[in-house]
This record gives sequence, C-alpha cells and structure tokens, in this order.
Amino acid sequence: MNTKEFAKSSAKILVIEDDNSISELICMNLEAAGYSTAALMDGKAAEDFLKNPEHEEVALALVDVMLPGKDGFALMEDLQREEIPVIYLTAKDDVLSKVHGLKAGAEDYIVKPFEVLELLVRMEKVLKRTGRGREKIQVRDVVIDLKEHSVMKGGEKVSLKPMEYELLVTLAGSKNVAFSREELLNRIWGCDYMGETRTVDVHIGQLRKKLNFHDVIRTISKTGYRLEDLD
Amino acid sequence: MKLWKKLSVVTVTVLSAATLISGIAVIYKSMEYNQQKTIESSEQQLKSTAYAVGKDLENSLLQGYSQVAKNSYINFVIKKYDASRYILIEDNQVVCNLTPFELAAPEDERWGSFEVRSVIQKLEDQYILISGRKVAVAGNIEYKLVLVEDISELYGDMRRQIYFNLTFFLGAAVASMLLIFLLTKRILRPLQELQKAAMDISQGNLTRRVNVHTRDEIGSVAGTFNSMADRIEAQVTELSQVAEKRRQMLGSLTHELKTPMTSIIGYSDTLLNVNLKKEQKERALWHIHKECKRLERLSSKLMSLMGLYDNDSISMEEVSMQELFDQVAGLEEYNLRQRNIRLKYFCTMGSRRIDRDLFESLLINLIDNGAKASEEGTVITLTGQDNVITVADEGCGIPADEIRNVTEAFYMVDKARSRKAGGCGLGLALCSMIAKLHEAELVIESEVGKGTRVSVIFADV
Repeated sequence: MNTKEFAKSSAKILVIEDDNSISELICMNLEAAGYSTAALMDGKAAEDFLKNPEHEEVALALVDVMLPGKDGFALMEDLQREEIPVIYLTAKDDVLSKVHGLKAGAEDYIVKPFEVLELLVRMEKVLKRTGRGREKIQVRDVVIDLKEHSVMKGGEKVSLKPMEYELLVTLAGSKNVAFSREELLNRIWGCDYMGETRTVDVHIGQLRKKLNFHDVIRTISKTGYRLEDLD
Repeated sequence: MKLWKKLSVVTVTVLSAATLISGIAVIYKSMEYNQQKTIESSEQQLKSTAYAVGKDLENSLLQGYSQVAKNSYINFVIKKYDASRYILIEDNQVVCNLTPFELAAPEDERWGSFEVRSVIQKLEDQYILISGRKVAVAGNIEYKLVLVEDISELYGDMRRQIYFNLTFFLGAAVASMLLIFLLTKRILRPLQELQKAAMDISQGNLTRRVNVHTRDEIGSVAGTFNSMADRIEAQVTELSQVAEKRRQMLGSLTHELKTPMTSIIGYSDTLLNVNLKKEQKERALWHIHKECKRLERLSSKLMSLMGLYDNDSISMEEVSMQELFDQVAGLEEYNLRQRNIRLKYFCTMGSRRIDRDLFESLLINLIDNGAKASEEGTVITLTGQDNVITVADEGCGIPADEIRNVTEAFYMVDKARSRKAGGCGLGLALCSMIAKLHEAELVIESEVGKGTRVSVIFADV
C-alpha cells in the first residue's frame, strides 16, 4: 500500500487510481488546496484498506473505474459499508458508465481529463452535502469558522461584509489555486449578477486591507486571484 | 404487373384470338358451302322445271289460243310444277306468278340466256334466292322462268351456329383462362420465393436461403442465388469482425491516449494555476516530460504497426540467422545488463529470406517482453533450430485465459506493471504482424510463475 500522510486535518481524501502520475497529480492538488490524502494504487489494495477496521478516517473517495484487481464499480459496496461518499474520476465518458456509476450510489462522476478547479469545487459540494465539510479553515494566523460564519485574526474577531466573507471562504476553500474574476463573480454573486469584474477587485482590496493579506491574496496576471498558503 | 399475370394474360389473349378467328373462319366457310349447295340445288330444279315447261309450251300450239286461254294453260302448266315457287315471264310481262312475291323488274336482261343466273335478296326479315333463265321458245315469243325460294332458314341456321359457337368459345375461354392463370402462377411460384428471399437479404437477414429445387432455369437461378448469399454472408461477417476489431483498437487507443493526456493537461493546469512548492513544480514537469515520452513511444509503435499494413515497405533479403542473433544480442546487451538479466543464444539455422529490420525488431520486442516479465538474475534464451525461433524467459508467465488476447493491440495482462516497465500494449501485436508478413506463426506457451516461451514458426520446413 502506497499511502502518503499529511497530518493537517483529521479526515482524509482517499485517492484510488492505478496510474502513478495521475494519482500523484490529484494528491498534489488536493494537498495544495489544504486537504490531506491517502493514495491507493489498485482495487485489491483499496479493498484491503477498507476491510481493515482500524483504517484512518476518510471523508471522501476519488475512485477510478478501470482498476486492476477490483474495478471501481465493484468497490462501491466496500465504500458504502464504510459510509464513504464516492466521486468517480475516470476516462470512461460514455453515458452508460455515468448512469451506472451514479445509480450505484456515487455522489458525482468526473471524466478525465479534468480541470483542477472543477475537481476541487465538486469535491467541496459533495463534502458539504454529506455533512463532512470542514468546520474551520486556517490561513496563517487567520481562522475561518464555517459554522459560526466568523473570522478571527490572531484571536481577534474581524468584521467582514457578507460578500467579503463569501469571497474569503471561496479562496481559502481551494487555497493555492487560482480563480478567474469571472469565476468568482459567478460563484459568489451568482451568474445573473450584472456587475463588472471590478466588483471582485474592490472586494479583494477590502479583504487584503482588513486581514493584512497583501502578500497572501496574490494577483495572478491574466488569470485572477489566488490565496497562497504553503507550509 | 406480376410476371405470372403478364404471361397468363398474353397466353389467354393469343389463344382466344386464335380460337375466335379460326371459329369464325370455319363458320363462314361452312355457311358459304351450304349456300352454294342450296343455290346449286335450286338451279338444278329450275333447269329441269324450265326444260319441262319449255317442252309443254312448245308442244301446245299457243299461237292460235286466245290470250285468256293461253294464260290459263300456262297457269295449268306451272301448277304442275309446284306453282308457289315459279314466275313465268312472257316477253318481259309476268304472265303467271303464284308466289307470295312481286317481281320488281320482269324485263331484266339477266335472264336473257339459257344459263341460270341466281341472286340472293334480303327482304325485311327474309332472305330469298331468285334464279332465272330463258325457257325454250315457241315461235317468236320469249319465255323466262324465275324460281323464287325462301332461304331464311339457312341464315337462321347460321345465326344459331354462331351463337352456339360463341357461347362455347366463351365458356372454353373462361375455363382456359382460369387454368392458365393457375398453372402459370404455380410454375412461377419459385420466383416469388426467390423475390421474397432477395427482399429478406436486402433487409439484412443474411442467413436467409431460397428453398427451390426445381430442375428448370428458376432452380439454377435459386442455386446461384444461394451460393451468392453464402458469399455475402461470409464477407459481411468478416467485415463486421474486422470493423469490430478496429473499433476495439480505436477504443483502446483513445483510452491509451487519454491517460497520458490527463496527466499532461492536469500537471500543466496545476503549474499554471496552483501555488506549488519548488520540488512539487519539478515533479510536475518531470511527469509532463515522462507522459510526453510515453505518447511518443506509443505513436512510433503505432506508426510502425500502420506501416506494416502497407506491404511495399518490406524488403526481403537472404540473411544469415547467426549474424542476426549476434546483432540482436549486441543491441540488447546494455538493456539487459541494467536489469541484471542474462541472454543465452544459439543458432543452428542457416540463412533465410527475411526483412532484416523488421525481424530484428520482432526479436528485440520478444526479448524486451521477456525482460519486463523477468526478475533480476534470471536467464532469457534465444534459440534458432530448423524452422523455429524461440524466446524463452523465466518470468512471471501469462495466465492461460489471457494468452489468446495478448497479441491484440493495447492488450495488457497487468496494466500497472506493464506501464511501469514502459510498455504500451502494442509489442506483441507488432510481433504477430511481422511474423504474418514472413508467413510465420507466433505461438505463445506460458505457465504462471514459471515463464513464457514465444516461438516464431516458419511455414516451410
């Protein structure tokens, strides 16, 4: 079993993928975004992992369908027994496989090749829906309490406007990943919001000032913004 | 219009026309004959009566008689000979007419000779035959005798005959029409079966055959049709198999392309958008590079596989097998030493007509495959004897139920392991193609855990 440990938050994201470089790619991105991961390289290893009663707590499993040993669809039973939500991540893009996967109980179905941001957003949605969303996100000395909707910096409460808070949560939820202005506008203000991308710039400016995040929220040329926090 | 209907209609029409025409001709001829006979007999009667009347008129010295006495005498004479049919004309005057008819032109010159002249005349609903001639003359008075006969009966007969014939003809025509329709349909029924079968086949039911065993042309057409259907079925089956294989190969190819593509797109996307540590950035670049290399390998293997389908790229020459083995061993030396695997080889084959480059790549592929399956410290043997070249390893072997699939393009028994060793699932497909071009067969024997023997067996001994 090839398990990578990153003790950051307790529950891990299980990555079951037989291709070495894709597995590493997913783990690399999830870690950058603030998740901790465990990678398993084949169906048999995944089965063994899940059968072990003392396995680490798993918040979500990203599962390839075509796996040596035991395929992704067959693994669903083991995953459901452990009450782990599943997102299939596979090259099989035919409708039948999608329907099969989703009917079997998967929360989502993502076709390769995928975009990093899309994967992160879908994961976040699934985690929230299944009540496994993170309760707190920490960026340097700032702690965002997602339950209380409060933001503390160095132990002191920072007062943010609702849109500023949403923006911070979005950026910090997929930290180290760049968002375009349009994406932020769509996700926070909604796609029918007729505002300009200037609105985003203004709110970013407010966040930077209030949290002293001038070097944390970086402007990425030609793309947008990125909340950077590597340890 | 259906063929059997056409044939029947044509036959019936021609037959009816012929019967009708011949029937009419026969009736007409017999009518003419009857008429002739009647006329002849009338004329015969007239002749004898005229002779007798002439004699009577001559014998009696009429000149001295008064007109009244003469007339009553003549009446007497005519009455002797069935007076109701005769008219006597004296110097263009009717002197005695006991018939129900009136003579229109007694002065007619027709009857001016001793020859009998006859004519048929139609009076309203009656046909009458009028014959006349000059009777022997006494003194300078000219007598003509005219015979009038009602021959309506004759025409009535004819009408009856025509009516009877027509009825009979119609009955026969209807009966024969039915019979002809039935028989033609029956004879041509195999054609319908043939047509139905052709329709079925054209609609995709390729297993359909014609069940016709007549000994005529239709039977032979049916035979030909069946053998044609056999051929079509065989070819379509073969084509669909080829298409299915192509489809599978294309499917595998897309999948094989998708995996490195996912990595390359994913890593480059990550490099562009995600804040990474320095060593992670290097890892990402390294992965991109590695996956590109994999794509390149895949494309070059694919190119050579495609190239083998165009046979022009092959150049056969006489090659010494010992030399070829030496060369292959030399090429593999570095690769095998790295994995700490030894290659033993010996050759008792002479020389053969082969394509040197292709065969070299065949052997290298087989040895590489062996090396990928082998543990460190094991031995691979390459032997050439009689018409068989064998590459044997002591590696992990292939499960029995997978052996027949391994020469399929993109088939990998153990994907993860094969990828790690740099395989892309085309090696054995390539080898079997090369073997086929040399009219040789690729035979794979394997036992899990013990090793694999791949033999290239040339068809000739």
